[in-house]
Amino acid sequence: MPIRRSLALVVAAALIAFGPAPSRADDNTIVFGAALAETGRDAREGALTKEGYDFWKDYVNSHGGLKVGGKTYKVDISYADDETNAQTSARLVEKFINQDHVNFILGPYGSATAFASAAVVERYKVPMVEGNGSSEKIFNQGFHYIFAVLSPARRYLEFVIDLALHQNPRPKTVAIVAANDLFSLEVAQGAADYATSHGLQVVYNNKYPADTTDVSSIVSAIKAANPDIILNGGHLQDALLLQKGFKEQNVLAKLYGYSVGPDTPDFRKALGNDANYVFGGTQWSPTAKYHGAAGFISDSKAYAKAFNAKYGHIPDYHNAESTATCLAFQYAIEDAGSLDPQKVRDALARLNVVTFYGILKFDDRGINVYKPMAVNQIQNGNLLTVWPSAVANAKPLYPAPDWSKR
Amino acid sequence: MGGISGSRPALLAVVAVLGALLLVPALHNGYYENLCRGILMFGAMALGWNFIGGYTGYVSFGNVVYFGLGAYTSAALAEHGVENVWVAMPLAMVVAAVFAVVLGLPILRLRGHYFGIATLGIALATQEIIANVDALGGGTGVTLRQAEWFSQYYYAMWLVCAASLLVTWLAARSKFGYALVAIRENEDAAAVLGINATAYKIAAWAISGMMAAPAGAVFAFANGFVDPPTAFSVDNNVFPIVMTILGGAGTVAGPVVGAIVLTAINETLWSHFPQIHTLFFGAVIVLVVLFLPRGLLYLRRGARGGWRGFLGSLTVYRV
Amino acid sequence: MNLLLQVLVNGLLAGGILAVVALGFSLVWGIMNIINLAHGAFVMMGAYLSYVLFASFGLDPFASVPIAFVVMFGFGYLVQRFVINFVVRAPILTTFLLTFGLSLLLVNLVLLIFHGDSKAVTPAYLGSNFSLGPVTVAWTKLWTLVVALAITGAIALWLSRSKTGRAIRATSMDIGAAQLSGVRVAHIYAIVFALGAGLAGAAGVLVGINQTLNPSMGDPYIIKAFVVCVLGGLGSVEGALVGGLLYGVLEALGSQFIGTGLQDAVALVVLLLVLVVRPRGLLGRAVA
Repeated sequence: MPIRRSLALVVAAALIAFGPAPSRADDNTIVFGAALAETGRDAREGALTKEGYDFWKDYVNSHGGLKVGGKTYKVDISYADDETNAQTSARLVEKFINQDHVNFILGPYGSATAFASAAVVERYKVPMVEGNGSSEKIFNQGFHYIFAVLSPARRYLEFVIDLALHQNPRPKTVAIVAANDLFSLEVAQGAADYATSHGLQVVYNNKYPADTTDVSSIVSAIKAANPDIILNGGHLQDALLLQKGFKEQNVLAKLYGYSVGPDTPDFRKALGNDANYVFGGTQWSPTAKYHGAAGFISDSKAYAKAFNAKYGHIPDYHNAESTATCLAFQYAIEDAGSLDPQKVRDALARLNVVTFYGILKFDDRGINVYKPMAVNQIQNGNLLTVWPSAVANAKPLYPAPDWSKR
Repeated sequence: MGGISGSRPALLAVVAVLGALLLVPALHNGYYENLCRGILMFGAMALGWNFIGGYTGYVSFGNVVYFGLGAYTSAALAEHGVENVWVAMPLAMVVAAVFAVVLGLPILRLRGHYFGIATLGIALATQEIIANVDALGGGTGVTLRQAEWFSQYYYAMWLVCAASLLVTWLAARSKFGYALVAIRENEDAAAVLGINATAYKIAAWAISGMMAAPAGAVFAFANGFVDPPTAFSVDNNVFPIVMTILGGAGTVAGPVVGAIVLTAINETLWSHFPQIHTLFFGAVIVLVVLFLPRGLLYLRRGARGGWRGFLGSLTVYRV
Repeated sequence: MNLLLQVLVNGLLAGGILAVVALGFSLVWGIMNIINLAHGAFVMMGAYLSYVLFASFGLDPFASVPIAFVVMFGFGYLVQRFVINFVVRAPILTTFLLTFGLSLLLVNLVLLIFHGDSKAVTPAYLGSNFSLGPVTVAWTKLWTLVVALAITGAIALWLSRSKTGRAIRATSMDIGAAQLSGVRVAHIYAIVFALGAGLAGAAGVLVGINQTLNPSMGDPYIIKAFVVCVLGGLGSVEGALVGGLLYGVLEALGSQFIGTGLQDAVALVVLLLVLVVRPRGLLGRAVA
């Protein structure tokens, strides 16, 4: 009997010893590790991120690869499902670095997962660039190895408010509601600060549990506050629930703005006509008029066209910012002329390049404060850029009419 | 030995493994260190669950609350500039003990299913409440600066697991342990015999918390990040229970054996079948419950009588 | 005042679904003494069934309710005969773990087939509403409540009038006496569990109409079912109904006036208070 038990323990030890999958090592390929949400709350957004990453990978590989210090490399991305779970994300990143010996890390979707992974890459001193976690809290920790190509969370709804303030009649009151998670709370805080400093009265400001399935109470409360503008910091799921809830309880605001949701094709598909007139803060738009540096598609429209041809839908900003994430690495690696993590990290820190997505430059905390946001609106089932006028391809429609008229 | 301590050879094997685990940081492999630290963590949590669920017979479905409280003790300290795991651990134990005594008085009056749900409710409610306390990071979570000497967290976790094992062993050989088992077998009879069931139950629950909480405190530092879903996760709640059952509830070594075996299985599944590892894990749980309801350590009894005896034991609970 | 009325209405509407979700759970627990942690997975499967029918055939979700009931009834019967039956008289921990493992299996199977992104059942009339004075009522939510009440009524009737129903009640009161009277207990248990699953499936369709679908959508409903059973009392149909409506109202009131961030915590605190003060709930039998 003792033998049987000891055997069990030995077997267990053997499983642990031989369990992990073999590590990859190939001299001619630069390998990136990417832990993304394939399941869980952010599964949809994780899928969009993956599309963005893969688009870049296929483009680079079909255009001769990356030239680093005189040698040409192909690129490959190793994926794993972090289940929208911060702890899993951190574990996977550690596994990528320790077991699989990847060269660099591409960030996950979401701020909480990025936050957790940041601690890991900092410890192992492997640079990570992400394009889908905009919370500034991550970058206020003094980390040196994480960079974000997207604009900070606070900015998401500022331009929406800006747009509103330029409309006639000028709105006076705003209701802000956010999911109780890192990203959404910062979005809400940014919106609240911007609103108050620009003369709007915040008549409702509250949060709901991050994975809530019922928002009727919040909707009722917002209705009772009777705001001109309703703003939401959250993700696709809550955006859908809220917009549905507003219709159900016949909430009549003049403007509805969401941080995440309107840009995704799923939002329009699920809501049909009820999605019309909704505004969304966006990190990028196909109408953006940047002229990117050599080495990749230089123009937003061309990117959108190529992406659509490959994936069957016009890229939303999640796709674009993910591609931009990879671009940051591309230019930094070529600038560093080496795959040494420290050199690449330093090259990232001093990166200053314009791409189809906008300028890629990081402040000394590592986040891209130099790229402006824009505002999209859904009009007749189409997503159009309406603000600021420099990048707009349509005029904003305001105020939103009765539900029956959408 | 024997009695309520469980199998002696198993205990010796576990002690040997623990000794070996002490050497892991010397390998300088972050992955293995992480993995073994996880085994130690779950070992401590399983021992904690075993104390209230296995020995005392009060099946708690919310012991993760202690782990979470421990993790947040570290987080709270970090928010106030004290980033020292060795301070966090004892403080976490105090928090757990207070929590157990305050809530134990009303909750431990419930029996069976009701106690289980009540503990689950407590865990969920605590998670929600903490998510709304901005001073603890609210829904956004807290990062903890990690020390230069990272392996100290490994040793700290080892200490928690080893101490928990020691306490369990001591209790199993003492009057305290026998009193708990008496309560488990027939609480009313035990009371008639003069055992102050309430006091013993609360003590048991407090001790179980004092094993899980420091594990959480160390975890917070080792992970570098704590938020409500991470600290109070379903995995952290269920794994210790499954591990204890797998190894053998109501024994000293069982929880640790279960922790080792289940971690090995889980890790293997995770590495080789990342898409469906949870699916397999669910299957593992179902199989364990159906075929090994009394755990690996009791396998001997089922094996008596050969195959027919084993199959017969499967249908013992049928209608 | 208007807000209060709206909140109460919200609560009642939400409570109707909870009553149906909890009914199946309560029957299985009250009669078989099994806490089925896979109940949430059954709810989720019902919702996905309605999604498949809607997406493939355009079938109106309300029409899927009886279909989901029948399909999940069959599924539940099989699960009981071949899995649950082995642990019917086992200690609670065994059934807890077994049903938990089962839940993991089912959720992950659905995940594998349908992937993790959320789906929606979107019939054209979604969101349409009418006003009752200061209160706005969504049609889908109202119909959900009506269907929920109908289901509850039908089950209550069946349990008290039909032969099987009476056998079930007899079994829950005294197994020995029931067996002596000729009741085949194994069969009854299978029927009860199947009934629980069928009700979960039907409830799942109703839930799916009112929120988006994803493989983990059923998880929160288990703890809610617990609360409803504890509030209303185990094993009684009226208890599930009263408990469900009461819970819905309490959750709505709590989230509105104590804090939307705390809406789940409020419900759980209520659960704990009830457990401590009156474990048998409002309409349940006294607990041994």
